[in-house]
Amino acid sequence: MTYMPSRRRGELGKIFNDGEVIVQQGDVGEQMFVVQAGKVEVVLESKDTQERVSVLESRDFFGEMALFDKELRSATVRALGEARVLTIDKRTLLKRISEDPLLAYNLLRAMSSRVRDLNNQVSAGRNRTP
Amino acid sequence: MQPASPEVMANTGMPKYRPRQAEKAAPCEAGCASGSDVRTWIGLVAQRDRTGLDREQAYTRAWHTITDANPFPSVLGRICPHPCEFGCNRSENDGAVAINALERFLGDWAIEEGLGLDVVDAEPKPETMGVIGAGPSGLSFAYQMARRGYSVTVYERRPMAGGMLRYGVPDYRLPPEVLSAEIDRISALGVEIRTNTTIGVDISVEDLRSAHDILYLGIGAQQPRMLGIPGEDGPGVFTGTDYLSRVNDGQIVEVGARVIVVGGGNTAVDAARVARRSGAEVALVYRRTRTEMPAIPAEVDEALAEGITLELLTGPVEVLRTDGNVTGLRAQRMRLAEAGPDGRLRPEPEPGAVFEIAADTVIAAVSQQPDWTALDGLDIREGWVATSDFGGMGGAMWAGGDVRGLDIAGSAITHGRRAAENVHAKLRGMPPPESRRSTPIEADRVNFDFKESRPPVHPPHLAVEDALRNPTAEPTATITEEEFLAEIGRCFSCGLCMGCQQCWMYCTAMSFTKVLNPQPGIYYTLSLEECEECGKCIEVCPCGYLEVI
Amino acid sequence: MSGLGQWTLGARRSIRHLAADPSPDSDATLSDGSRVAVIGGGPAGSFFAYFLLRLAHTIDLDISVDIYEPRHFTHCGPAGCNHCGGIVSESLVQMLATEGINLPPSVVQRGIYSYVLHMDAGSVEIESPVEEQRIAAIYRGNGPRTAVDMPWESFDGYLQQICEKEGAQLVHQLVVGLERNGDFPVVITNEGTTTYDLVAVACGVNSNFHMLLDGSTSEGKPEVSRTFITEFKLGADAILETLGDSMHVFLLDIPRLEFAALIPKGDYVTLAMLGEEIDDDLVRRFLDSPEVRAAFPADSIPAVCACAPVINVKGPERPFGERVVLVGDAGITRLYKDGIGAAYRTGKAAAETAIVHGISTDDFETHYFPTCRAIANDNMFGRLIFFFTIAVRKSKFVRKAVLRMTAGEQRRPKGRHMSGVLWNMFTGSAPYRDVFFNALRPGFLLGLAKSLAAGVRPPQKES
Repeated sequence: MTYMPSRRRGELGKIFNDGEVIVQQGDVGEQMFVVQAGKVEVVLESKDTQERVSVLESRDFFGEMALFDKELRSATVRALGEARVLTIDKRTLLKRISEDPLLAYNLLRAMSSRVRDLNNQVSAGRNRTP
Repeated sequence: MQPASPEVMANTGMPKYRPRQAEKAAPCEAGCASGSDVRTWIGLVAQRDRTGLDREQAYTRAWHTITDANPFPSVLGRICPHPCEFGCNRSENDGAVAINALERFLGDWAIEEGLGLDVVDAEPKPETMGVIGAGPSGLSFAYQMARRGYSVTVYERRPMAGGMLRYGVPDYRLPPEVLSAEIDRISALGVEIRTNTTIGVDISVEDLRSAHDILYLGIGAQQPRMLGIPGEDGPGVFTGTDYLSRVNDGQIVEVGARVIVVGGGNTAVDAARVARRSGAEVALVYRRTRTEMPAIPAEVDEALAEGITLELLTGPVEVLRTDGNVTGLRAQRMRLAEAGPDGRLRPEPEPGAVFEIAADTVIAAVSQQPDWTALDGLDIREGWVATSDFGGMGGAMWAGGDVRGLDIAGSAITHGRRAAENVHAKLRGMPPPESRRSTPIEADRVNFDFKESRPPVHPPHLAVEDALRNPTAEPTATITEEEFLAEIGRCFSCGLCMGCQQCWMYCTAMSFTKVLNPQPGIYYTLSLEECEECGKCIEVCPCGYLEVI
Repeated sequence: MSGLGQWTLGARRSIRHLAADPSPDSDATLSDGSRVAVIGGGPAGSFFAYFLLRLAHTIDLDISVDIYEPRHFTHCGPAGCNHCGGIVSESLVQMLATEGINLPPSVVQRGIYSYVLHMDAGSVEIESPVEEQRIAAIYRGNGPRTAVDMPWESFDGYLQQICEKEGAQLVHQLVVGLERNGDFPVVITNEGTTTYDLVAVACGVNSNFHMLLDGSTSEGKPEVSRTFITEFKLGADAILETLGDSMHVFLLDIPRLEFAALIPKGDYVTLAMLGEEIDDDLVRRFLDSPEVRAAFPADSIPAVCACAPVINVKGPERPFGERVVLVGDAGITRLYKDGIGAAYRTGKAAAETAIVHGISTDDFETHYFPTCRAIANDNMFGRLIFFFTIAVRKSKFVRKAVLRMTAGEQRRPKGRHMSGVLWNMFTGSAPYRDVFFNALRPGFLLGLAKSLAAGVRPPQKES
C-alpha cells in the first residue's frame, strides 16, 4: 500500500519542512489553507528583498483571497519550522457557504482583522518605497 | 469497569455479551451488624419517584424495613460504629454513603411522626416468653416474639429498661428520651417489662421456668474487670461501666481535676469524655497504638478535639496513693511485638521505661464479663455462655448479646432476632430460617461515573466549648431532610437494579421491558430473543446488576 | 411495547403535546439569561451547543447551555462508545478547519489517504484528489472494549471539550423525560426537573429516548436500519503492512450483504457492515471470502468488540416544535454515510436559527427545516446510487468494467471520472446529488461504456 513518509498517522493535512514553500507569490491559486500545527510565515517578495508580513499559527488560514478574486497569489507562504497545513477546496467551501452564509463570517472576521493590522502598520509610519 | 469475558463463539470469533439480571449481596447489608436491608430501605426513598411513592410513604416503608430487623434505628443511628459503611463501594471513591446518619434521620422522623412497629402475625400463640435483661438483645428478642403473637415478659433488675444503652452509653451520645421512645414502641406491642426485678431475689428461677415456655438470657456483661495491679482497691478508682452507669443514673461522681482512663474501647472513650465534661483534665492510657484501639475512630477524634490526651503504648503498673488518696499511675512504656494468637499485635514492656502520670482518679475500662450473681439457679457455669449460632443453649433456654461475648449493640439485636426467628420456627414446626448472606459485590463492578463525585454529608458539630459546657448535649446533630435526601441519592444500589433506565435507553434491540408496578430492584424484564450481544447494557449498568451469561 | 414510558413519566409528565404548538403566533427568542438544554452529548448535540454559544458571544447574548449526557467518553467499550464506523469525511474535515476546529492527532486515529475498492474481479486504489490526509478515522467513544490506557481521545469527548471551552455545562445525567410547562420545555432526569427556554434533542437513534417522545407527536421515530460493527486488534505496524492508511471497501456478491468496509484506526481495525439481518454466518462468510483474506488476515486476529447499531435512513417529518428542535440523527441524517456531517449541518443550522431568528415553531420551520429537507432530498439521490452499487455487486461484468476504468484513471492525472464518483461516494465527501450528476456526465458514461466494451473484447496481452 502507498505510504508516504511525509504523512504521519493521526495527522491531517500535509507536512512541510522548515522553509518549504506552501504558496508561491504570483502563482494561480484555487485553494485556501488552514494551519493545523506549527507556524508558517507570510512573505512579500519583491525583486531582491523579502519582507515577512506575518506569522500564522494553528487555526489561522491563508490563501483565502483566492476565494474572492482571480488574481495571482499576493504573497509567499513558507513553513517556519515544521508545519502541518490542510487544504480547503474552493468548490467545497463555496458550496457550503451558499448553504450557510454565516460560515463566511469567520473568513470576513479574519480578513478584517488583517486589514486592521495593515492599517496599523501603515500608520506606524513603516514607509515602503513603492 | 470490565465485565468478565464471555464465551467467545467458536465459529465466528465474535465476542458475545449476553446479559442476565443477577442480584448480588450489597456490602452495606453484609456489613450491617443488626442485619437490616440497607440497600432496600435506601432504595425505597432514593427511588420513590420511580415507584410512585410520596416522601412520607417512602420514609414510612423505609423505616418499617429497618425495624423489621432492628427496632432501634434512632439509637443505632447515634451509637453504632456502622460497619455497614466500611464496605460501601463508594468509600474507595469519594467516601461511603453516610448510612448511619440516614438511619438516625429516619429514626428521629418516625419518633416525631409517632410511627408504630409492624406486627408480623397477630394470631395469639399459646406459648409465653420470659426474657432476662432489658438490654438491646433481650428487647430485640421480645419485640420479634411479640410481633409474632407471643406474650412476652421482660425482667430487668434496674429501675429502667435499656441495659447498656441506658446505663453504659453516655447521655450526650444517646439522649435517654430517644431510647425511651424506641423502647415504648416495643411495650406498645404488648411486651411487659418488669423493672426493679432481680432474678433470685424478687423472683426465683423456678417461677420463671414454670411461668414461661422459653427463657431468653440477655443479661449482658455487667461485671467489669479490674486492672489487677497494686493500689487499685480503694477510693478514687472506678471501673468504666460503674462510672458511666452512676453518671447516667444522675449521681454526682467526684473525680477531681485529673483523671486517667485505662483502656482503648468505646467504654474507655465514653468514660473519658464524660469525665472531661465534669471539667477534669483527662488522659486515656492504652497499651497499643491508635490503630489498634477498638473504639469508634470518630469518637476518638472527638475525644481528642475535646482536649483529652492519649497516652499510647502505655501499660498501667500501679495506682499510686498518698494517705489512701490516689495521686497518680505508675506506667510502663510498651512496644508492639509480633501478633499474638488472637492476631493482634502484642504489646510488651520496654525494659526500664517506667514513668508516673499524676491523677486524682483512675478509671479502669479494660473489659467486662457477665455477672452471674443470683443466677445460680440457672445452673450455668461462670464465664461466657456457649450457644448455637442462633443462640440456642439447649432445651427451652436461649441467649444473646454480650453474655455470649463482648460485641456492639447491633450484634446483640441480631442475636435477639435470630433466636426469635428460630424459636418461632421450632414452636410452629416450621423449617429454621435460612441465612442468606453471600459474598458482596465489589467496587469494580459498580459504574461510579453514573453519579457525580460528591463527598458524604457532614452533620453539623457542636463547638467543643459548647459540648463541654452542656454535658448532655449531643455533639453531632441529626441531618436535615434536605441533607438526608441528597445523601440517600449517593447510593449506587450495588448489586440490585435501581431503575436508572440506562439499559432500556441504550438497548437498540429493545430487550428490556418496563414492568407495570415497579419496586426497588424490579423495574425491567429482560428477553434475549432479539439480543445482539453487544454488552452495552452490562457496561452502562451502574449497579453491577446486569452481568454476562 | 405498548404503554411504555407511562409509569416513569406518568400522565402528568407525558410529552404528548410536545409538538402541538401551544402558541402558534409565538415570537419566542433567546434573550440574556435564557437557558438551553441539549439532550445528548454526541456530535449533533455538541455542534449545536458550540455554534449556539459562539454565535451568542458574537452578538453579546448571555445564555447558558446544559448538555445532558450520562455516558463518559473516557471509557473504552460500548459504555463510552457511540457505535459508528468512525469516519469524518473529507469535506467535513475541511469545514471544521474553516470553522476553527482542527482535529488534533490524539483524536484522529489515522488520516486516511486513499480508498481501496475490492471486488471479486480485483482491487483498485483510489487516491485522494490532493496529496494529503484529509479524511479522519476516529473513535466516537474511547475505543474498543479491551483498549486501556490508550493515548487517544474520543471524538465526541473532544467536541464536548470545545463546547465546555465556549461555556457549556456538561451534565452527566440520563434524561428520562421531556414535558412542557406552558410553552416551556422541562427536562426530567433521575435527579430532578429543570425548565428551559429551548431544548435541542440530539439523542441519536441508538438510544430509545424517542420512545419517551410520545408516538402521537409529529417528531415520531426516525426510520432506521441495522449495521454491524466490530473491532479487531491488529497493532499499528501490522495495520500499516496490511491495510495501510487506506479505507478498504468491499463490494462482494454475498447474499444479504450490501456493503462492507475495513477502516484502519490506531491499533485497531473497524469492520462496518451494512445489510439485511447481519448474523454470525454472514460475518463469517465475509471474513472468509478470498477478497477479504487477501487484504486482511482476520483469522489470527481477535475481535474484541462488536455491536449492531441502528442507523438513520429517514428522519421524522417535522423535527421541531415550539422551543424544541431535533438535530442530528434524531432529526435527519444522510443515508448510510457521513452522519457526523449531517450532525454538523443540522446542529449549526438549528443554532443559527435559534440565535439569528428565534425559537418558535415558525422560526424552525422557515429557517431550519430547509436544511433538513435538503438532506432528505439528497438522500433520494443516495438511494439511486445505492441501486447502482447493487447492480455492480450483482454483475461481475459491470464490476470488471468499473475496475478497469478506475485502474486506468489512476494512472493519469486528469479525467478521473469513475474515480471521482467512487471517491465521493465512499468518502461521503459530496452530496449524493453531485455524485449522481457526475455519474451522468459524458466523460463518465463514455469511460464506462469503453470499459464495458473492453469486457466483451477478447482479453488483450497486456493488462
